[in-house]
Amino acid sequence: MKQEHSRRFFLKTSSVLAAFAMIPRTAKAFYEEVKNFFVPNKEVLPLTVSINKKKYSIKADTRTTLLDLLREDLHLTGTKKGCDHGQCGACTVHVNGERVLSCLTLAAMVSGKEVTTIEGLANEDKLHPMQQAFIECDGFQCGYCTPGQIMSAVACVNEGHTGSVAEIKEFMSGNLCRCGAYNGIVQSIQKVAP
Amino acid sequence: MGFFDEPYDFVAPPDDGRVEGIYKVTGKGKYSAEYKVDNICYAVMVGSTVAAGSIKSFNLSNAKQVAGVLDIITHQHKPVVPGLADEAKIASARFGLPVFHTDKIYFKGQPIALVIAETLEDATYAASLVEAQYDTESFAVDFDKAQAAVALTATGKERGTMDAWSNAPFKVEAEYNIKAEVHHPMEMHATIAEWTATDKLKLYDKNQGVNNVQRTFARLFAIPEKNIEVISEYVGGGFGSGLRIWPHALAAIMAAKQVNRPVKLMLTRPQMFYSVGYRPASWQKVQLGANAEGKLLGILHQSKNGTSKYENFNEGITRVTRLIYNFENLKTEAAVVALNLSTPTWMRGPGDCTGDFAVESAIDEISYQLKMDPVALRLKNIATEKNPETGLPWSTNFLNECIAKGAAMINWQDRKPLPMQDINGDWSTGYGMAVGMWNAGRGNASAAIEMKKDGSITVQTAMTDIGTGTGTSMQNIAHDVTGISKTKIKIELGNSNLPAAPSQGGSNGLSSISGAVVAVSNLLKQKLAEYAATENEVYKNAKPTDILLSDTGISFQTANNQFVSYTSIWDKSKLTVLEVEASSGPGAERQQYSFCSSAAHFCKLKVNRKTGKVKIEKMVAVADGGKIVSEKAAANQMSGAAVGGIGMALLEEMTTDERLGGLVGDDLAGYHFAVNADAPIIDVAFIGKPDPNINPTGSKGLGEVGIIGVAAAISNAIYNATGKRLRDLPITPDKVLGW
Repeated sequence: MKQEHSRRFFLKTSSVLAAFAMIPRTAKAFYEEVKNFFVPNKEVLPLTVSINKKKYSIKADTRTTLLDLLREDLHLTGTKKGCDHGQCGACTVHVNGERVLSCLTLAAMVSGKEVTTIEGLANEDKLHPMQQAFIECDGFQCGYCTPGQIMSAVACVNEGHTGSVAEIKEFMSGNLCRCGAYNGIVQSIQKVAP
Repeated sequence: MGFFDEPYDFVAPPDDGRVEGIYKVTGKGKYSAEYKVDNICYAVMVGSTVAAGSIKSFNLSNAKQVAGVLDIITHQHKPVVPGLADEAKIASARFGLPVFHTDKIYFKGQPIALVIAETLEDATYAASLVEAQYDTESFAVDFDKAQAAVALTATGKERGTMDAWSNAPFKVEAEYNIKAEVHHPMEMHATIAEWTATDKLKLYDKNQGVNNVQRTFARLFAIPEKNIEVISEYVGGGFGSGLRIWPHALAAIMAAKQVNRPVKLMLTRPQMFYSVGYRPASWQKVQLGANAEGKLLGILHQSKNGTSKYENFNEGITRVTRLIYNFENLKTEAAVVALNLSTPTWMRGPGDCTGDFAVESAIDEISYQLKMDPVALRLKNIATEKNPETGLPWSTNFLNECIAKGAAMINWQDRKPLPMQDINGDWSTGYGMAVGMWNAGRGNASAAIEMKKDGSITVQTAMTDIGTGTGTSMQNIAHDVTGISKTKIKIELGNSNLPAAPSQGGSNGLSSISGAVVAVSNLLKQKLAEYAATENEVYKNAKPTDILLSDTGISFQTANNQFVSYTSIWDKSKLTVLEVEASSGPGAERQQYSFCSSAAHFCKLKVNRKTGKVKIEKMVAVADGGKIVSEKAAANQMSGAAVGGIGMALLEEMTTDERLGGLVGDDLAGYHFAVNADAPIIDVAFIGKPDPNINPTGSKGLGEVGIIGVAAAISNAIYNATGKRLRDLPITPDKVLGW
């Protein structure tokens, strides 16, 4: 049996709980009671988004992140989950041309926007120069952080942060690489930088 | 399968690029959680909220109300796992934590329930609603507090006597403490489990050895090994965390059995702290003596490392002490300290990395007493002729050459012999160095080649490539032995249906698989010669060394006019695919020689007097890894390991919570490893001389020696800059301040 309760119900209940807060024991007992039958329903949201120049009209769980939408719903698994907390950069994609952490972005937030993932970086039959540079400079080992590194590296060049090794390193420090392939990552960016 | 599913014919990868490079830079390579499997559902593990005790009861009613929840596994509600069916079987299963088969709690975060649901969101939300009641017990998570009461026992045979050097004119006696570190490969461990029949299992799993996974689950589920296919074509790093089979993989398989559907389980980053091992915290004490000429007279090395309450994990911290130097008098002791944490495991340079820090720090310290250059002191004492532990001659040992080369690369002559002699404003510059060594191993491995009429070959092995460049090296070796162009050599690996190979760890990967690739390449030549002999008698009894292969046919080394085309062989013999398979492994050479990889690490850094900030300006790593098969990948591995060493020295610390048990800061904001800006461009060089005895290619492993010694090189440089000897890792700014 699924319980049917809306968010409005929850807000109401919360204010009742607040009132009871004056009497700690009673409030706690009441809260336990409420909590035991309160399980919100899942909500889905229609969503139109352009991903790698392809238009998707889909229904997404309101809790779904852009990262999970890409990986689990659309099977665009080039975008990687490395922490799910915005701490590692592996999930970096471009939204309207700027680097964004897809794990900290709800799918609902990209409605009507242009998303570019690693799968959309190559120009049809030609690798993006940054992809080519990463191969030539061996800018990876295991390859798991690589799509995020490349998406960040492209943005790093576009942002004009390639003036020195130190500047590149600073502006690429949001993308962790546990293999420590930083030598090759910096060289790749130097190769592509104007 | 794998790398060549979706061929990128439109682009020619550079000749020295990795075989799988294009799949990694385009996001096409499939890591374990990324396979599309029909009807898949998701599992999320729920961890214990207490550090010790037992589970009294569960409240699952809220979690079960969540739409999409299919089932919740606990120790009270689970499918049968024959290998864990009773206490006796659990004891003999050697699986470690008997997840969902006990009510006992050994550590905070221990999986107690597994929620299976239609979507990841459903499962994650429902998992947050699982509640358990416990009978709690007292716990211990603080290694530093717990270790004092644990007694030491001898590790290995004592050499000489302690008395022989008790009156040595120069002595160091010091203690060293290192906090636990966590592997944290960028890909979180994940498993997709699918029962394709009641006794047939397919696993997409992150690990460092598919055959190990296969064996383990064949044993636990009492099904034949061949009924389990393990697919691990792309592995997003390991560093040792994939060498054991962990509870989450079993959990995914149990879940798939329970709901009779394929199940995907990916650990969260916080769960990575509790679920797949870590380098344990350690305490060490070193007593070291030398005479006035700088001869090291003797050493006492004692160590303790943390373990769990349910398994004994001994790091082997003192092993390296018995390996590098000619200590005529030596005594080593160790102990493990049981804590309410999950079981630690091998992490890059296991044991040696930890032990080397203490010994290389002590040797640096005594060099200042002796007023002797630490480079000269090491060159004088390194056991270059034979392994001091076994007495066997080294097959090759070029550590002294590594040191000389590294010293030149970092301009060691610029180092001031006394501390604090190179100060500029708030910054003081220092130089440090240390060495590392690792027993170079080799295991039995198999490889196969499939050849087609067009002259293309596919080289196959079950071995994984965790980022080290295994596939690229296989391609290079197959090219060298056969002569076939690299563009016509494909690689398939990381699948248990392919010829068996050992796990990829302990710097054994390339050393093991290279022999098999040489053997199978030679076998291919032999087979082709047999076919060619039906057309041309010159090929009768030809040896592989007589034969040259090209992209179009076979010829005799000495007589090119004896060319026989593959087309003609295939047509005459009515072949479709020519298949050969060969195995290779260590032999009698192991009784005649000792084998080692080694490296010298140098560091130039500056330290800020006001902030305690350590800024590494230059790092040099020079390694003896025998013949280098793939130059770029090898250099990448060495520089990457140095970056790992920077983390060990300055940043990494798994922090325990002694009030509530478990950990604090258990994510990548709380646990710091080196980011791009923390590391300089690392300079790497190799000695490059093949080891003639270790395997047919003469290549030795590099994974471990890349990090062993790095932390000591950094702390020794900090001493040179500040005069402050720091013996506890990580060396965070608070420890550096005050000089």
